[in-house]
Amino acid sequence: MKKETLTAIIFGIFLGGVVAFFIINKTKEIELNKNKVIAPKNNLNNNKNLPDNTQMQPLEITSPQDGLIIDQNSTSIVGKVEKDTLLVIQSPIKDTTFFAAKSDFKISFPLALGENVIKIVAYPRNKTFRPQEKDLKIYFIDSEL
Amino acid sequence: MKKTLLISLLVTWSLSCLAISTYGQTETASQSASPTTTSSAEESDIKVLKEKVANKVSEIRQKNNKAISGFVISNKSSFITLKTYENEEFEVELDDTLTKYFKISGTQKKEIEADVIEKDDYIIVTGVLIDKKITANSIFVDEGFLVETGKVTEIDKENYSIKIVTTAKDNFTLDIENSTKQSMLNIKTNVTELAGFSKIKEGDTVHFVVKQLASNKNNSYSAVKILIIPQEYFLK
Repeated sequence: MKKETLTAIIFGIFLGGVVAFFIINKTKEIELNKNKVIAPKNNLNNNKNLPDNTQMQPLEITSPQDGLIIDQNSTSIVGKVEKDTLLVIQSPIKDTTFFAAKSDFKISFPLALGENVIKIVAYPRNKTFRPQEKDLKIYFIDSEL
Repeated sequence: MKKTLLISLLVTWSLSCLAISTYGQTETASQSASPTTTSSAEESDIKVLKEKVANKVSEIRQKNNKAISGFVISNKSSFITLKTYENEEFEVELDDTLTKYFKISGTQKKEIEADVIEKDDYIIVTGVLIDKKITANSIFVDEGFLVETGKVTEIDKENYSIKIVTTAKDNFTLDIENSTKQSMLNIKTNVTELAGFSKIKEGDTVHFVVKQLASNKNNSYSAVKILIIPQEYFLK
């Protein structure tokens, strides 16, 4: 067999492979596009009316960390929450309620000597959302640090 | 042959001279340095090193310093066993020289002896926590509180008590005492105001604080304070 013939055969097999790969991929893509809609269109539109938990800013406490030991009789509670949420912060020595005008909030909170159990509850403005809770245990121990 | 021997000898002699001169130089240099300067410089270096080590130790100690709290199950001479509200048991290792003991009363703390701590005392332990064992730096005898929230499911007007189910589906019975601080959110002004027992309705949300008890099978507590969010707030 001549050298030119062998080269032509190899080139032909390679080109055939490339064309086959392209055709298979394109066919799969077309099939996937055809089968994309599983639920009826009406149902998809109705879901837009339901509250979506992923759209709401969840209650996050960035500071202080749970279990923190500090040597001051107050701390700043800093966090994020959905705008216009009613926040209730309660501990054995203090109750605070306020509306978060912005999504970020910061409030100074007094601490008793020893253990301070603080519960933070967020009631979103949209009443269909569930309230969210966070618990903190902060230790005000002046001789430790 | 003689020539080679002569060259070898010369090389050996030259190398010996070089070695001796180098040795001599070192000796001279060390002798010429002032002993007072060296001593003070070394002392300063040691002081800096000591400070660095102390800072590092303090930093590691602060980083590893944790606090746990719970009721004393047993107090033996070298260790205390405590159980947290979440029913976790911890072994508290005591050190005769390191561990300090205090009792917290209001805003004051008083040093106490280790043997004063008894079964069912609520204690806070600070120290290095590894797994379920804490090496105690300090132990504070304190009062433990629970802060919870839930919905009122039942009101007993004769006994001045309310039943509450929390979001975690725990049931509590709260006795409303004369000493219980009661407040309610005014849904028009969004400000909390003082309230009475008669204002509480089934379906209201209540935030409450109770004193923890060492043993409480019925989850029945005397309320320290309650904050009521009327159900009307959620209908606005």
